[in-house]
Amino acid sequence: MMDLNTVKERAGPREFSPADDLPREYREAATRMIEFHANSEIMGAYLERPFIRQSPSIDRKLAFSAKVQDEIGHGQLLYRAAESLGVKTREEMLDDLANGDGKFLNCFHYPLKSWVEVPMISFFVDGAAMRRQATLRRTSWEPYAHAMDKVCFEEGFHVKHGEDILKELMTGSRKEQQMTQDAFEEWWPRIIQFFGPTDDKSTHHDFAAAVGLKQQSNDDLRNAFLDQYIPKARKYGLEIPDEPRIRERDDGTYAVEEDDLDWDEFFTIAKNEYEPGLGQINGRKQAQEAVDWVRETIEADAPTAGGHEPQAAD
Amino acid sequence: MIWEVFRQAKTGEYHTHCGNVHAPDREMAKQFAAIQHGRRKPTNSLWVVPRHEIGEIDAEDVSFGGTTDKSYRWATAYNTTGSDAREVVESEDEQATAEKQQGDD
Repeated sequence: MMDLNTVKERAGPREFSPADDLPREYREAATRMIEFHANSEIMGAYLERPFIRQSPSIDRKLAFSAKVQDEIGHGQLLYRAAESLGVKTREEMLDDLANGDGKFLNCFHYPLKSWVEVPMISFFVDGAAMRRQATLRRTSWEPYAHAMDKVCFEEGFHVKHGEDILKELMTGSRKEQQMTQDAFEEWWPRIIQFFGPTDDKSTHHDFAAAVGLKQQSNDDLRNAFLDQYIPKARKYGLEIPDEPRIRERDDGTYAVEEDDLDWDEFFTIAKNEYEPGLGQINGRKQAQEAVDWVRETIEADAPTAGGHEPQAAD
Repeated sequence: MIWEVFRQAKTGEYHTHCGNVHAPDREMAKQFAAIQHGRRKPTNSLWVVPRHEIGEIDAEDVSFGGTTDKSYRWATAYNTTGSDAREVVESEDEQATAEKQQGDD
């Protein structure tokens, strides 16, 4: 088995594949990271799903349902990449997500109540996610990087469509503009927290960076995001809320006043203990149970499909 | 025996089908492929695959969809304001390239 020092020495982009005999520490860290990512794709899709029906036009409905469908697909790609580490099976990950043990992105724990909130997810949160995903095309676990190629290819449409919704709302009636601004104010701190705690408070960063799983620190990603999306928000006439205080440094990077953000709420969410988020988790659990019969039928019906894994005797 | 040839222009890109060669075995197929398909266009790598090893499914076997206008699926369909994040531009470029390549070969 490869020892940890060798892993750290070799840790370049797409360096490791299922052909490598990797130490447990690497495989567990990679599983935690990719499972979180996969769960987030799924939970994001469930959060947005009701808005397929609530889309204000047929064009929006088509595009939005295509987008939600893509996100579910991204989740499936990522479970595959996680599964190939040999730590957890796809079923275990999906069951953990259903029973409240699976972790996922803070933003997807908040209920989405109105169409004006949709671009907060599909423009800002997806834009933030894309910033991060673009760096993960250079992650050291090759199946993860490969999944990111497909995800990034599709994600451009999601972000542009989200931006198009924002543009439509911000060039709409005064009422629409005001409602969008209100939604922005509610979501802005959560969007900034997307990138997690600052580097000095991040628990998993050091190891994930040392073995090449993670390519950029929380602070760098947050800076790159703010640099791009603050001007965008302003361009559409959104006012950046006074809090959290954001200071632009001389070098053009941003410093966010950490204490202005609600970290108690963030860490309650991280433990899956945030009350409104439980509705999201249980909602997906019910959906998983409701379609159990589909999975069972497919499994019972396809005893020889694929053929790369021995079938159980039953 | 016919071998289908797939060319990769640059490291990291996909191998795309570019033609075929007649050859009695894999070694000869590789040599012929290099001569016939690796000389004029930029080539980083070639694959040769026995034609009978290729699985095909066509429009008679299955309905593929794709008959309706799905332009809403492409980033290029949206006119937004101001410069985009570079990863968004990259994605849009990849989509534009893929759109252009539809129907090639």
